[in-house]
This record gives sequence, C-alpha cells and structure tokens, in this order.
Amino acid sequence: MVESIVLSGVAIGCIYGLIGVTYNVMFTASRVFSFTAGTLGMLGGVLGSLFIVRMGMPVVVGFLLVLAVGALFGIVTEIVAVRPVLKSLDQHLYVLSTLALALMVQQFTAIEWGTESRPFPRLFDIARGRFDQQFWLPMLACAAVIVSLELLYRHTLIGRAFLAIAEDTYAARALGLPERSLRMASYALAGVIGALAGFAGGEMLLAFFGNAPLLTFYGFVPVALGGMGNNRGSVVGGLLLGLFQQTANFLVGGIFASVAVFTVFIIVLLARPEGLAGAALQRRV
Amino acid sequence: MSMTRRQALASAGAAAIAGGLAKPAIAAKDPIPVGYLPALTGPSSSTGIGINRGIQLAVQEINAAGGIDGRQIELITRDTQSDPTKAVNGAAELTRGQKVSVVFGPVNSGESLAVVPLLARTNTPQVHPCWVDSLTDTQKYPMCFRNAPTNQQIGGAANRYVVEVLKRKKVAVISDTTGYGTASVNAYVPMLKAKGAEVVYQGNVDAANPDLKAELLRMQSAGAEAIMPWSVNAGFLSRIINTRGQMEWDVPIVGQTTLGSGQTKALLEKPEYWAKVYPNNFRTVCYAPGGKLPDRTIAFLDRLKSAKIDMGDTLLWWIALGYDSPRMIAEAMRNVGTEPEQVVSYLNKLKEFPGVYGDISFTPDQHNGYPDDEVVMVEANSLKDGAFNLAPGYSA
Repeated sequence: MVESIVLSGVAIGCIYGLIGVTYNVMFTASRVFSFTAGTLGMLGGVLGSLFIVRMGMPVVVGFLLVLAVGALFGIVTEIVAVRPVLKSLDQHLYVLSTLALALMVQQFTAIEWGTESRPFPRLFDIARGRFDQQFWLPMLACAAVIVSLELLYRHTLIGRAFLAIAEDTYAARALGLPERSLRMASYALAGVIGALAGFAGGEMLLAFFGNAPLLTFYGFVPVALGGMGNNRGSVVGGLLLGLFQQTANFLVGGIFASVAVFTVFIIVLLARPEGLAGAALQRRV
Repeated sequence: MSMTRRQALASAGAAAIAGGLAKPAIAAKDPIPVGYLPALTGPSSSTGIGINRGIQLAVQEINAAGGIDGRQIELITRDTQSDPTKAVNGAAELTRGQKVSVVFGPVNSGESLAVVPLLARTNTPQVHPCWVDSLTDTQKYPMCFRNAPTNQQIGGAANRYVVEVLKRKKVAVISDTTGYGTASVNAYVPMLKAKGAEVVYQGNVDAANPDLKAELLRMQSAGAEAIMPWSVNAGFLSRIINTRGQMEWDVPIVGQTTLGSGQTKALLEKPEYWAKVYPNNFRTVCYAPGGKLPDRTIAFLDRLKSAKIDMGDTLLWWIALGYDSPRMIAEAMRNVGTEPEQVVSYLNKLKEFPGVYGDISFTPDQHNGYPDDEVVMVEANSLKDGAFNLAPGYSA
C-alpha cells in the first residue's frame, strides 16, 4: 500500500509541480498568473493522442510537435490575453482574460476532439511493471525541467536576462534588455513545460478535455504552497500535494479525500500566507 | 352604401367565424413541434449519442411515411452538454419559446432531476429514459412517463446477479459524484443489505481522479468479493477495470451498462481486462445462449444497417430506446390528437407498446413502463454489433 501511495503520489505530484512551474515561468516574466497553465497540460495529452494514435506519427515526431504547439499557445497567450492587460495589473484583469482564453480553447477541444476520455499511447514498447512508465515518465519530465531551468537561469546569458526582467522590469528595460521579446520567450518556454507535463502524464490522465480545469486548479496549489515564482518550491509543493492526496485517498477515500486536501491547504495558507518556501513580503513604510 | 350597426356586427361576426374556421385547416398541415433534450456533448454524452441515432431514425421514418395525419414531426433539439443548468435553459426555451407538444429527455438523470419539475409546471407531456426512481411520480409529475427501467429495477437485477448467481456476499459499491452516481449508490446499498449482502466499501469518487488504485486497495483490504460501479463515465469505469487488472485481482465487476460500451473498451490497457465484467443490459437486445437475437431486434438491426447507422462505438439498447420513444408518441397522437391532455390520457392506458427495447405499459398510477424481467446482466467482452451475450447463469 505504501509503495502504491508513493508511486502514484509522486507521479501525480510531478505533474502538478510541472503545471506549477508553468504558472511560475509566466508569472516571473509578467507578474501575471495565467490560468492557461492547466489548458497547456490538457493540450499535451490531447495533442499527443491526436498526433500519435489518430494520425499515426512516430512518437518522437508527435512529442516534438506537441512541444511546438505548446510553445505557440504560450506565445498566443502572451499576445492575446496578457499584453493588453499589463498596463493595469493592479486591476487583475488578467484573471478574466487568461481564464477566457483557457475556456475558449477547452470548449474548442471539446467540440473538435470530443468530450469522452480517449486513450493515450504507450510511449515505450516495454512490458508493464510495478514501476511503470506511466509513473516514471512524469518524474523524469519533472527532473529534466528542473535541471534544465537551473542550467538556463544560472549558466546562460538569456537565462540571466529572464531573471533580470523578473527582478525589475523597468531597470532591465533601462539597461537595454528586450523586455517584450524576453516575455514572449518566457511564455513559449512555459508553453513547452505545460505541454510536456500533459504529455508525460498522458497515460495517467488520458486524453480528456476536462483535464484542463483539474490541472488549472491542482496546479495552482503547489504555487501557493511553494511560494509564487519559486520553481523548486512548486515542485516540492506538487510532490506534497500528490502524496497527501493519495494518502487521503487511501485513508478516507472518495470525495472526502478532496475535502481533506483543501482543508490542509487552507490551514497551511492561514499559517503561512507566503507559502511554505516563500519569503514574507517586506512592506516599506 | 350605408351599413347599420347590426349589419356591421353581423359582418364582423361572420368574418371572425370564417377566420376561426380557416385556422385549423392551415394548422393541420403545420409540423408538430417536439422538444428533445439529449446530452450530445459533455462527459455523460455517450448515452445521448447512442439514443440520438435511434430518435433521428424514427423521426425520419415517421415523416417519410407521411407523418402524423399529414403533419410532419419537427424535432427541436437543445444539447444539454451533460449540464443540468443548460438542460433547464433548454427546457424553458422549448416550452415557453417553441411551445412544443411533448418533450423527449433529458437522457441523463442529473439533468432530468432539474428538468422534470420544470416541465410539470408547464403541463408539457414528457417521456424520458432516466433511471433515478424519483423521476416519475404520478401525483407530482402527472404528465411525465419513463420508458426505461428504474434504478430499483437496474440495481435489483445487478444485486440479484451478484448475490444469487455469483454467490458473492461482500460487495464494494462505488460511483462518481454525479446526481445519477450518488443516487444509485444511495438506492442500491440498502437493497444489497436487504438481500443479505455485506457492503464492505461504499464511496463516491470524482470521475476525473486519475488514479483509483487507492479506492480499489481499500475495497480489497475490506474483503470485497465483487465491485459494483455506478457511473456513465467511460474514463472512470475503465480506470476501475484497468486497476483491477494491474492488481491481478480476480474479482467480478458488476454494474452500469457503460462498463460494456465501445468508449470503455477503447480505454482498456489490455483486452483481457474486460473478462469478468458484467454490465446491465436488456434481454430484448441480447444474444440468447444459442447466439440468436429476438426476431423484432433482428428486423431492427436490418433497418439500422440499411440506414447505415454506426454501431461500432455505441450500444444497441441505446439506439433501440431512442427509436421507440418517437414511435410511442406518434402512436398516441395518431389515435387521440396532439393536445397534451390527449397524449397523456392515451399513455395512461398504454398496454404493451411493442418497442424494440421492450414492451412498454403505463397506467394512471404507474408511469414506470419497463418490464422487470427484461433487465439482465451480460458479458462485456462479448460485444458484437452493439449487443452482448447474456451473462453466465441466464437461460434463453
């Protein structure tokens, strides 16, 4: 039983964590919480099934196309739902614009793809075992994303430029950094990460349009737990959420598991509003 | 020429009478508006998609044969999208805006729970196939008829099969969190207990939950000897079947008809996981032990084939149920007229209407028209042309 809790809890937690990272990458570049993060995850699963199962493409080609569409959707999000509302961030109009875009894409997927869950392909033709690919693929994807982001942010010029605009947009622009291009690149990167989360978790979540609100919701919890903009915090928050959710499923089961998850979530936020790993905001007086 | 007041009144009266007489002559050729509230999209749409194929075919056939006394049936469809709120909006528009004569559907219980009281208030005759028991009540909803089994009949057949045929006494009952799912669990658990079974697990689980292993392990550790799932969500049901297969847990799964649908089959990790899965179904659309369907059903299958209706991704009983509904209403309207009270008075005396899905009978005090003995269990992995073999233990 413990093995099962850990395996599926960590795997689901990695998917939640990756959606949390998707939120963060968009947030750090624009100070906007884009609620298209879960939609990206849903698209990863649906497009993976579309390209590989329905259109018969090789897995590698299908995978690369999914990431490309994710990047494209990230850029479209920045242009359509984020850029127009950046000037009035304090009014939080981005909640409406990004949610509207997410709902449009979700409904379009429901109409074109269908509203039933559909199968996601086995990516590697190996026998099923206890530590099956449906569990280790999300873990691998999560590890790859965290390592890649660390390398990008710490060891490349463009990564440092991302951090610069995240730290202080106006100062970065004053120094001559192409803020708009960097923001678009960040959204494209977030698109790739979100689509990767859905693709890696496709076998668990199936290709289902209804995964969008599920991932939007559960993917936000690690962001709140781990601290906004903190990728490592998001992954840790995602893992905690996945493990706690599975434990609650075992101990109380059914709808009470969701109640338990959100009860603990609210208690944590009441105790530490800045998140478990976030730093409390200092207010200048 | 001058006209007296008496002449003017007489002329006006004559014109009014002439106008009044002319009106029915024109109205007699008008189509008969019939409202239809299927779930064609949304997570519970697999049932509606199947039923829709039968309804469309029946309406085409009725209209091609000259309609009802020369009047065509105009089917006015509002997709509920598996959402009770949209179903209510659709029902309000059909009754108040379109002024329909009768309403078919909704086809899912969650939506019908919201719509049935609304239609009762507008005095619109309604025929629906939803199973939740409270969806017919001759006192509260005197114009509402059910041409399908009730939850009591469905659960009764499944419970009988588990307890009396499979001889399993410790049972796990699971559903999703829809209106249908929760109502089913609430109805079946006391029925199982009354039959002497012990319900060792009872749960309502979010259908979007990607991993149901925790739930199945809880069932297993509680000593369950049979799993009874109640949901129309193919993703949810396939996860139960796949998880049982992964756990190599040799326990029968007995329950909802969607366990045997093409959508559920498409989501199975291995075809062999479909063994020992026994969904509800209906004797009229099942292969008897000799492999033969009833004559009425064979003729219906021929009609479906000639109309090129796809059965690969749906179930025969859904199409048959859809096919029977407009034919039953057409028979009522042909015999007594299209006014709501006329249709209801005819249905109140309906005796063994020969449907493909089953012989339907109503009385003024009983608006549940489906016969008990037609509800059976079948082998899910025997699906062929939308129909199944009867489960082991049934005779021809």
